[in-house]
Amino acid sequence: MSDELVQILEGNTFVVSDDRGDIEASLTDPTGLFSFDTRFLSRWVLTINGQRLTPLSTDDLQYFETRFFLVPGTGTVYVDSKLSVIRQREVADGFQEQLRVFNHQNEPLNLQIRIEAASDFADLFEVKDALKKKGHYQARVVDGSLVLGYQRETYARETRISSTADAVIDENGLSFGITVPAHGEWRTDLDVVVMASAPDGSAPSPIARRLGVRRDMARGLEKWIGRAPRLECDWKPLESIYRRCLTDLAALRFSTLTMPGRSLPAAGLPWFMTMFGRDSIFTSLQTLPFTPELAATTLLALAERQGTRIDDFRDEDPGRILHEMRYGELTAFEERPHSPYYGTADATPLYVVLLDEYERWTGDAKLVRDLEHAARAALNWIDEYADLQGNGYVSYQRRNEKTGLENQCWKDSWDSISYRNGDLPGFPRATCELQGYAYDAKIRGARLARQVWKDPALADRLEKEAADLKRRFNRDFWVEDGEYFAVALDIDGQQVDSLTSNNGHLLWSGIVDKTKARALMRHLLGPRLFSGWGVRTLAEGEARYNPIGYHVGTVWPFDNSFIAWGLRRYGYKEEAARLVAGILEAAEIFNGRLPEAFGGYERTSTMYPVRYPTACSPQAWSTGAPLLLLRVALGLEPHGDNLIVDPALPKWLGNLELLDVPGRWKRIDAFGRGRVDTDRHPHR
Amino acid sequence: MPTASGGLAKAPDPISEFFAVLAESGHLATFEGQSATLRFEVVDGDRVERWRLIVSNGDVSVTMEDGAADAVCRADRPYFEAMMTGRLNAQAAVLRGLLVCEGSMAACIMFQRCLPGPPGSTGRVAPISGATVMSQRRPE
Repeated sequence: MSDELVQILEGNTFVVSDDRGDIEASLTDPTGLFSFDTRFLSRWVLTINGQRLTPLSTDDLQYFETRFFLVPGTGTVYVDSKLSVIRQREVADGFQEQLRVFNHQNEPLNLQIRIEAASDFADLFEVKDALKKKGHYQARVVDGSLVLGYQRETYARETRISSTADAVIDENGLSFGITVPAHGEWRTDLDVVVMASAPDGSAPSPIARRLGVRRDMARGLEKWIGRAPRLECDWKPLESIYRRCLTDLAALRFSTLTMPGRSLPAAGLPWFMTMFGRDSIFTSLQTLPFTPELAATTLLALAERQGTRIDDFRDEDPGRILHEMRYGELTAFEERPHSPYYGTADATPLYVVLLDEYERWTGDAKLVRDLEHAARAALNWIDEYADLQGNGYVSYQRRNEKTGLENQCWKDSWDSISYRNGDLPGFPRATCELQGYAYDAKIRGARLARQVWKDPALADRLEKEAADLKRRFNRDFWVEDGEYFAVALDIDGQQVDSLTSNNGHLLWSGIVDKTKARALMRHLLGPRLFSGWGVRTLAEGEARYNPIGYHVGTVWPFDNSFIAWGLRRYGYKEEAARLVAGILEAAEIFNGRLPEAFGGYERTSTMYPVRYPTACSPQAWSTGAPLLLLRVALGLEPHGDNLIVDPALPKWLGNLELLDVPGRWKRIDAFGRGRVDTDRHPHR
Repeated sequence: MPTASGGLAKAPDPISEFFAVLAESGHLATFEGQSATLRFEVVDGDRVERWRLIVSNGDVSVTMEDGAADAVCRADRPYFEAMMTGRLNAQAAVLRGLLVCEGSMAACIMFQRCLPGPPGSTGRVAPISGATVMSQRRPE
């Protein structure tokens, strides 16, 4: 059995197959053809004369196209094959597969080609949670196509499979009895289209059209890469890391129903090809100097769905920015709240942060004016709806206790927020980074109010509130005996006193008193938090520390990119360069594609970073991490209509050039030379 | 499902009430900077009741006259009633094929955002103590 998964995608349609191109999914196995959060093919198996095939090689041509070179047989020793097969697949409204069979003999070959096809129409949530289906299935042959169908009340989905070559079609697949001439070729084009049937009894149509999405395939990867700044570096791996990031970002672009021509970053593959407030905002922040259009679309799309009412099932409030949007069956029947779901406490303040940062880079004041109401509503949410404890701090507690999210901060696993002794606090929880984001939102909102909305009274009020928040925060969250900020305040106002990477986000937000910054820096680069590759989510020595625990010891590249930004903000340039070095070296080892997280083991003990077991990849904010680290290393900072460049690069990077950085200055080139000694460059 | 027909046609029903409240407000700050016209087709057996919602830079007006629209939303009366009283989520209704939206999706989402939340949503929840949280977790 081949175990390598090949993933190709377009928008929220993607295929996960083995390296032969076959799909053999079970309810809990994440292979298949997925679209709009629904699996439309769970079986797609090619045989020749009843035999499975063996891959010679697999090429990812584009992120939406893959080619498989195959020969018959499943053994490990290849016989001198008389025939070979090329299977080329492109994702569209489903996928198109070109199947070519080559005869390498001097005489004709008679063959039986068979493609087995089936679908379980699982909702992505069902694949994750192994739930049972409530509707019924039907497979039938209609007008020369195999139609796989699923129906539950008025909810109906179909997969239509057709072939250009004549096929004998039955309910389980397509068969071809063929003769391939001597040294000749046989070919068929298979078309798999995913459909939603019409509610009014009219004919089914491709689901994308039914839901109002126009496909935008001709997005030109080269054009996308060509629009981004050009990077040249003496350390050659950086050039391929950079290209990998831009290519993966292109693949992660996602068009919303309302803005088909524009795209924003979806969160990741395979489970998260949808709009996430937090992930889309963080990724937009990371990529602003490179691909600012992602930020613009993110801001528009999130405003369009900003909360307007109290909805306990969806944890929605007026002004709240959404957490996650889904289109599958469980959402359709309101068995899951993702239509959309609003249970996140950070996306709303971060929305204002992104809006301001976007304007500082691009000078696009028009968008800031267009989104004035959305930004004001977001700022209002912070005070009006997010202060659940009535103590002036943002906190969270889900109102949907069945299917809502317990932890509404980025560390969203059940054990991510703990006291030193491992105990978990109750709810509501006021995690520390949320206060930082709220502070930053007020400061930045004040700037926008004064400069763009021409509302100095609002600006004054926000600045006063921010100053007050900062003063209280530095008093209430500061753990005296440890000299760092508690990860949260519990419902009694007591400190949840473990040492975490959240301190780095606090530096980024600017909420930290200058006098406390040095102590934080020493923790972040000290032995309990710094692994040698990056900053661990939870410090060694805390009761729940586990180097391969999701949010309790692993190193997250995204987290580190913001921590590095935070260190720079407080003037710790060389310390930031150490994080830049560690994460970029890890990126090289992961062939340019950083995973969501990797193990928090001490670097000297494993030599290589250990990938977190179930992390998905590519993940948008991991993809964005090297980009933000480049910004940090070069010290890029908009200042009025100018771009400041103040490099602090690891020495071994040598010369680094980032050419044509877009912004309100049109295009500027940034140069830097490695001068910071970052200990070592050990794996070579 | 009950339908507003015959002598009851003039009686207040959730749909007329929903539009009356929108029209009465005259202005929705949420939609400042946005303009769109939506037509609603409330299907009631063989009859179709039409409403037009016109949003112009946040100003809102409602008529029952026919006319061009950027988007058309069509559903059977009971489903519109359910949506307009917060008992059916509009996005879910689209996915289930109960609500058909044509034309500008941005306009359709504006409609969705005008709808009330589910009945009984209070926005409040009782605090949970740390002891409760710990007792729900199996000891490791």
